Amino acid sequence: MIAKQNRFLLSLPLHIFIILVALIWIFPTAGLLITSFRPASEVASSGWWTVFANPFDFTQFTLSNYKDVITNIGIGRAFVNTLIITIPACIIPIIIASFAAYAFAWMEFWGRRFFFILFVGLLVVPLQMTLIPILRIFNQLGLSGSFLGIWLAHAGYGLPLVIYLMYNFVSGLPSEIFESATIDGATTFQIFKSIVLPLSVPALASITIFQFIWVWNDLLVALVYLGGTPDVAPLTVRISALVGSYGQNWELLTAAAFVSMLLPLIIFLSLQRYFVRGILAGSIKG
Amino acid sequence: MKKHFYLFIVLVGLISLLFIPVHAEQKSVTVMGVWTGAEADAFNKMVAPFEKETGIKVEFTGTRDLPAILTTRVEAGNPPDISVMPNPGQMIEFAKDGKLVPLATFMDREKLLSDYSQAWLDLGSYDGKLYSIFISADLKSMVWYNPKAFAAAGYEVPSTWDELMQLSDKIIADGNTPWCIGVESGAASGWPGTDWIEDILLRIAPPETYDAWVNHEIPWTDEKVVEAFEIFGQIVLNEEYVYGGPKAVLTINFADSPDALFTDPPNAYLHRQATFIKSFMLEHFPDLVPGEDFDFFPFPPIKEEFGTPALGAADMLAMFNDTPEARAFMEYIASAPAQEIWVGELGKLAPNQKVDPMVYPDDITRKAAKFLGEASVFRFDGSDLMPAAVGSGAFWTGILDYISGYPLPEVLAQIEAAAVDAYGK
Repeated sequence: MIAKQNRFLLSLPLHIFIILVALIWIFPTAGLLITSFRPASEVASSGWWTVFANPFDFTQFTLSNYKDVITNIGIGRAFVNTLIITIPACIIPIIIASFAAYAFAWMEFWGRRFFFILFVGLLVVPLQMTLIPILRIFNQLGLSGSFLGIWLAHAGYGLPLVIYLMYNFVSGLPSEIFESATIDGATTFQIFKSIVLPLSVPALASITIFQFIWVWNDLLVALVYLGGTPDVAPLTVRISALVGSYGQNWELLTAAAFVSMLLPLIIFLSLQRYFVRGILAGSIKG
Repeated sequence: MKKHFYLFIVLVGLISLLFIPVHAEQKSVTVMGVWTGAEADAFNKMVAPFEKETGIKVEFTGTRDLPAILTTRVEAGNPPDISVMPNPGQMIEFAKDGKLVPLATFMDREKLLSDYSQAWLDLGSYDGKLYSIFISADLKSMVWYNPKAFAAAGYEVPSTWDELMQLSDKIIADGNTPWCIGVESGAASGWPGTDWIEDILLRIAPPETYDAWVNHEIPWTDEKVVEAFEIFGQIVLNEEYVYGGPKAVLTINFADSPDALFTDPPNAYLHRQATFIKSFMLEHFPDLVPGEDFDFFPFPPIKEEFGTPALGAADMLAMFNDTPEARAFMEYIASAPAQEIWVGELGKLAPNQKVDPMVYPDDITRKAAKFLGEASVFRFDGSDLMPAAVGSGAFWTGILDYISGYPLPEVLAQIEAAAVDAYGK
């Protein structure tokens, strides 16, 4: 009993510190959330913290920003486009990376080390440098402006990091499992399918979150490879077009930010129990 | 095992999506521009009659990252059919590289000459060939004021620089502040100050000096440039002249700065800004009546011999792909009916002379159109013409440094250093 109390007292400063850090982190988001419920004229003339002067005066809040965003013509199509882009752009690199990670970690072949370093080394190539050459190739193949093109682009940009994280996880699995599986007569693919994949679920979940959020929030890659016409434009393109070229109507952005945040938030919350485990799993070996 | 089976099904489903054609087979023209929000809506309104009449679909992409996206797509050989040019300098670059279609190959020269003044056609040409069409313009050389506040205090609209300064001193003597200026604009902070420098320079030196300065044929340390900064400094660095003092100028957003004209009593009486600021004033104070609650007078001449030049910006479109649809569209936007819709929606000014003045939303806009049409000298916003490293880089930060109190020679030396790098001379 006493020991328990002592432990509580000892960890108290740590908890206070963590809560403090959490509050600092959440502060801008809270401001954004409050702003998104304020009318445009108020947003332009006073700061969001002024609502706390009389927080129960609900006339100072409005849903009109959300209404404007959700009823904006084409936003539904943009949502579907984002899904069409995001889901394959997550699945493709993760499948490839799982195969690759397993091969790099457990299969013997010539140049294994070299290819692994080559792939991971691609992490340092800035995405912006690749836009023109890749778009040229896409033009020749007729891929620009098509969803297949942007899936491949996102897969390519995501692969180095995803392979690296998966490799660290998969290479940390105990070698005895693989030995006994081999002795039992399992083929390489069976080992991958029945042992490596199920064991990697935590890592897969956290990597899915990374890749999903990156693709979901992407504006540049979509604009360059896909163009911004209404039939292919994702949410980000649509939302950035809500604001005038001198920054008028930026109060709509606050509401739009929360609308577009909704799905990633759901994904994150439903996968988060894997998330911490997953990151740790990828970060250190063994 | 079962889970993987579902995964497989999902994959097959997604791959089958590939075969859905992205672009339906229809005559269309792709257009890229900087317009978003209300401006994109106005653009769509302008193209609606065109689409109805010709059956050609206009696929418009609006992005504020136009310079980057456009250059990337042009370099990669995948440009839109027609695009807004970020600035005349960029148009000249594209024309030099042979990326643009010369418009004289299909447009009626006689009609162009009767619709546009030679000045606008020259601005859209490179090496004697016309490459781009102007569809709207903004005027920048304007000082906004509140006529009611002026009347209440007994102030008169000044017509020369000396009168303007006398008026400023009189406002101070009455215990008020003459000017409101705000140069904060996020990552673009500083640009409202560049307009001041340009307007002043055009009024203390011949337009040739201005052109030489824009092209970096004279250095930033040239005495005329120094003088322009100093005249700007007389106002902006003077605690009494600007609302809130120089510190406030740095932190007030350009869009919020004219709000000071409409407080009771007015926090300030004068505001120098382009035509577009009207929409911000009306957004912040929806009850204002243009012409009654706010009006403008031209930024007054400083040295008599240089008169009252007009500084401005303009929206220009050029053509990358020579298709029949693109040709039809270029002809349409060059016409008066198209520009009447466009400028009528946005309160911009139309370069096409045949545009009916009645489409302008109010007398202020008609007055601005008249000023623009009659100005003997028109010059583009210089910061738009300079290389980005200077025009939307060192010049902006130079303005901020100058207002923060850095000595002028140091500020100009820094811009000059950036300019030497950027122009390569």
